[in-house]
Amino acid sequence: MSYPPQPTLPWSTAGQGPVTYDAYSLPVNDNVNPYAFSVELNGSYFLQKGKMVAYYGDISFQGVGHGALDRLLGQQFNSPLHASDWVVAQGRGKMVLADRAFDLNSYDLDQGNLTVRSGNLLAFEPTLALKQSIIPGFLTLLGTGKFVAASNGPVHFMEPPVRVDPQALVGWADCPAPCHHYDHHYMQGVLGGLRRLTGLGGASGEEHQFEFVGAGQVLLQSSEALMPERSVGQVDAEPGVPGGGLPQQGYQGGHQGGGQQLPNLQVPGLGNLGDLGRRFGL
Amino acid sequence: MPFHKINGKMVEAPVQPGQRMFSQRGAMLGYRGEVSFTPNLTGGQGGVMSMIGRRVANEDTPLMTVEGRGTVLFGHGGHHVHVVDLVGDTLCVEADRLLAFDGTLQQSTLFMGSQGGVMGIVRGQVTGQGLFTTRLSGHGSVAVMAHGGVFELPITPGQPVHVDPQAYVAHRGEVTNRLSSALGWRDMIGRGSGEAFQLELSGQGTVYVQASEEKL
Repeated sequence: MSYPPQPTLPWSTAGQGPVTYDAYSLPVNDNVNPYAFSVELNGSYFLQKGKMVAYYGDISFQGVGHGALDRLLGQQFNSPLHASDWVVAQGRGKMVLADRAFDLNSYDLDQGNLTVRSGNLLAFEPTLALKQSIIPGFLTLLGTGKFVAASNGPVHFMEPPVRVDPQALVGWADCPAPCHHYDHHYMQGVLGGLRRLTGLGGASGEEHQFEFVGAGQVLLQSSEALMPERSVGQVDAEPGVPGGGLPQQGYQGGHQGGGQQLPNLQVPGLGNLGDLGRRFGL
Repeated sequence: MPFHKINGKMVEAPVQPGQRMFSQRGAMLGYRGEVSFTPNLTGGQGGVMSMIGRRVANEDTPLMTVEGRGTVLFGHGGHHVHVVDLVGDTLCVEADRLLAFDGTLQQSTLFMGSQGGVMGIVRGQVTGQGLFTTRLSGHGSVAVMAHGGVFELPITPGQPVHVDPQAYVAHRGEVTNRLSSALGWRDMIGRGSGEAFQLELSGQGTVYVQASEEKL
């Protein structure tokens, strides 16, 4: 049996097998592949719980807020109620971080500020200060240093003015805080009223965007699949504090994968401990 | 207006006044300029009859009309995106794989059952296509979603391409597809190779295949 000559198929000819790394050939503070990031540790590093997949060397992991680390915590970790989700890696060696095969990227801040969705932040150098953003569900990093963030698909940078889908927003740098933009254009008029009354025709799913203006960068992830949101804790109820005293709402509403870790304030038998119970793993 | 692929999961599309674009509802990631998104009652082009046709054929993915002036970014659910630029030819694709397409393209529903009889029905079951598929023709861009990266395989006359039905995404050009089965006694007792059905595409064109056997 003879076959006709096959048309050329677009197979890649540069096939590569898996690369083997050792303690010396692992990249230094760089991506191993799009989904894993290698940190050269000499001192301490903050990372979210459960994001370390491997390490070389002598590294210890301790929960934030343990004994001798409290001083470090006070200086660099300014979001005390969020502390239960973070650990400090201390020692020397190389540490590989990964998160459910999401794309990882490192970002350098130079006397800057960057606000990132709390579930997307993986690790940061202690030279940066972590604070809770006044936008619920977001954390702000201040200062100089490097941090690692995850996104579903590569991150795309855009310069304002731009309006972005709430689920596609990873974070923003330097711009003033975003505001809400509602687009109910098609809800107006006779047909629009009919649509609103009857629900016929449904919604476009894009009535609501975040609007960014001013100078800076907006970070977009290429899909609308959200990472589970990390609770950023509860802000004290004070007049003038947005979201103060209320359980975090985050961005709920039927998003896939939005398994949020909200502090359960109504845990029976815990009295008024509130979020404390969660901190101590109760 | 041609779509511009930003990365594997995101496309950018320019919108200009007087030009419509259709996209899957909720697939907008961000935009610049003044752009409005209107839910499309009829699920695409044509009037009420086209809508009924699509409903009957189960090709009625919720779409929205994108109009205005600016650039829009599209992406959905973390799926990989592939851009196909049509220049007068046709693309057959399942409606729920359509991320966005130009309003200049002609959209129609195609009955696949006429190709292959009973095997056509089995093919519809195996590929998840059903008996109907959406056909786009004309000049313009289409962004198609897939689970895993997409690659193109050329089909030339006399040299059909065999594709796993679950990995099939779309095809372009004058292509007929036929389900070829290699069912044997091993499959009957559950010791088959797992590749009992293959989609055989012949004619002239291109088939788009995803690097995954998972449906959207």
